[in-house]
Amino acid sequence: MALHDNDTILRVQDLSVSFRAYGGMVRAVRGVSFDLRRGETVAIVGESGSGKSVSTKAIMGILPANAVIEGGSVLYDGMDLTRLGEEEMNRIRGRRIGLVFQDPMSALNPIMKVGHQITEVLRKRMNKHDAKARALALMEAVGIPDAPRRFNQYPFQFSGGMRQRIVIAIALAGDPEILICDEPTTALDVTVQAKILDLINQIKEERHLSVIFITHDLGVVAHMADRVNVMYAGRIVETGTAEEIFFEPAHPYTWALLSSVPDLQTHERLMSIPGTPPNMIYPPRGDAFAARNQYALRIDFEQEPPYFSLSDTHRAATWLLHPKAPKVEMPEILRERIKRMKEEAAHA
Amino acid sequence: MFKYLLGRIGAMLLTLFLVMTLSFWVIRLMPMSIFENPEVSPEIQAQLEAEMHLDKPMIVQYFYFIEGIVTRGDFGTSVKVRPGLDVFDILAIRIPPTVVLNVFSLLISLPLGIIVGVAAALQRNKATDNVLSFLIVICISVPSFVFASLLQYCLTYVWPIFPTLYDSQATTFGAQLYSMVLPIIALALNPIATIGRYLRGELIETLNSDYMLLARTKGLSRTQATIFHAFRNSLVPIANTIIPMITGIMGGSLVVEKMFAVPGMGGLLIDSILAGDHFLTVALLIFYSAISLVTILIVDISYGLIDPRIRVGGGK
Repeated sequence: MALHDNDTILRVQDLSVSFRAYGGMVRAVRGVSFDLRRGETVAIVGESGSGKSVSTKAIMGILPANAVIEGGSVLYDGMDLTRLGEEEMNRIRGRRIGLVFQDPMSALNPIMKVGHQITEVLRKRMNKHDAKARALALMEAVGIPDAPRRFNQYPFQFSGGMRQRIVIAIALAGDPEILICDEPTTALDVTVQAKILDLINQIKEERHLSVIFITHDLGVVAHMADRVNVMYAGRIVETGTAEEIFFEPAHPYTWALLSSVPDLQTHERLMSIPGTPPNMIYPPRGDAFAARNQYALRIDFEQEPPYFSLSDTHRAATWLLHPKAPKVEMPEILRERIKRMKEEAAHA
Repeated sequence: MFKYLLGRIGAMLLTLFLVMTLSFWVIRLMPMSIFENPEVSPEIQAQLEAEMHLDKPMIVQYFYFIEGIVTRGDFGTSVKVRPGLDVFDILAIRIPPTVVLNVFSLLISLPLGIIVGVAAALQRNKATDNVLSFLIVICISVPSFVFASLLQYCLTYVWPIFPTLYDSQATTFGAQLYSMVLPIIALALNPIATIGRYLRGELIETLNSDYMLLARTKGLSRTQATIFHAFRNSLVPIANTIIPMITGIMGGSLVVEKMFAVPGMGGLLIDSILAGDHFLTVALLIFYSAISLVTILIVDISYGLIDPRIRVGGGK
């Protein structure tokens, strides 16, 4: 962990977030920790309801009113973002940390010209003319052709992919150093997804951004991330570099996720993970994944597994890694897949 | 925008024509005879009927009626309520008090309704919201004439602050308005509550929208985001409620005018229907429809101003 500690730009430590609901507290995020280093892309991968979006909302300080940060900290530039007031957070949002939303169809104000939505952030610091010039430059930078004409148009006159480019332009307008992308391609057509991912990679390079990339799609992660955190039921169950997660996955949940990525070459039946995530009003005893885990041990139902280190960067929370645990190998299909992926990576 | 406007006005004129036709036939086919005064001799009656084309078949009368309105603005002559007077001249005297009453009710209900709605939405599920929502339910469910009696009792009898009745001798507009304060309030309570209720619901929904979240992530404060992003978006559906609201105010004013002795259209309409003064009734019906249509037109235009999807839409 202590490899490049000076480079750490954002550190999430033991973050816990719960929601007040009718049945009690929903434990959405339970002790999440990860570091974001300068110029790096960290991916957070997990199913719906695993707490990945809630974690980013907590970082941005835009949790809904019924959410409570129960513990932990988000350290950024000598500050703990979870403890800042509204005023101070308003200075950080947009200018220091930008957010790209999942659904560009609903993220833009439908009755405001897109140009105005971009310049809105800039107007605090510069006059109208400069703001417009900057917004036009941003629109060109995110790949919107004919920017001067598009500047005066409304969101409904844009396609989904173009709207997402506008959302990215808005996120970049304040010139942030951290960009959080919350499932930026989930709502888009497959053909557009790749373009948006390329765009994010490109602006990341150009602007030396550090990126937190949220997704449920491991296939997307492969193109984006330096490091990957796999989340399940509010907890990071496995963390490592992209290579470690893809080539040497250790947690049964990561195995299941990797097996459920469609593979065009083998025409295998698509694997799915049986069951649904647990109800987090009553978190199960032991490992939250145990009930859906075909490799679960008896201890999985009794005690939550600690993190076992596989390398300096690779850790997983599963009892299978305990020295006394029975030796369990990943499924055969997955092993073959990884072999193929490695070969492809070697060729590329 | 211009094309949009032209289309709306065209549709409005067509509707007005249909209303004219419909009200002519419905009213004129009613069983009451226009003349039933036994003192008028048959000769004079025949002469008058000839003058008003009443001796011709209905379909011919209809064309005379349309022609009179379109070419001369002539709605006919009153025969019972104000015998011998031109219907148009009667309207000219009776319209202003009604318009003042209705317009002022509307003018105070819009801002007050918006304030109530915004306050309730921002304080959602807190004490302010609960109190306001309670009052809103009362104001929507109780008809305006009940409030009119209550206001009359409280503010003219118990605490004599305002005059009980409309002051027809008022010399200044201010004095006239002063005597109309109570009917204006009575008519405005329901629209205030209606706007407040809708705006509260809309605003709560827009406050939870993704673009509000995006506005916050831009670094706008909660207040800025609410004013610049949520408010205008929640006005779009509110514009819709204004149409039934205005017809509601006009319907309420029929009764309330009578209670406060305001010499407006309301009393006139009731009198003319009861007396069987068909020319006058038809003219009043046309007037009420015209007012409704103009409001709808204004609302349609305001849609275009509020929501670019309507203004620019289609014409890509």
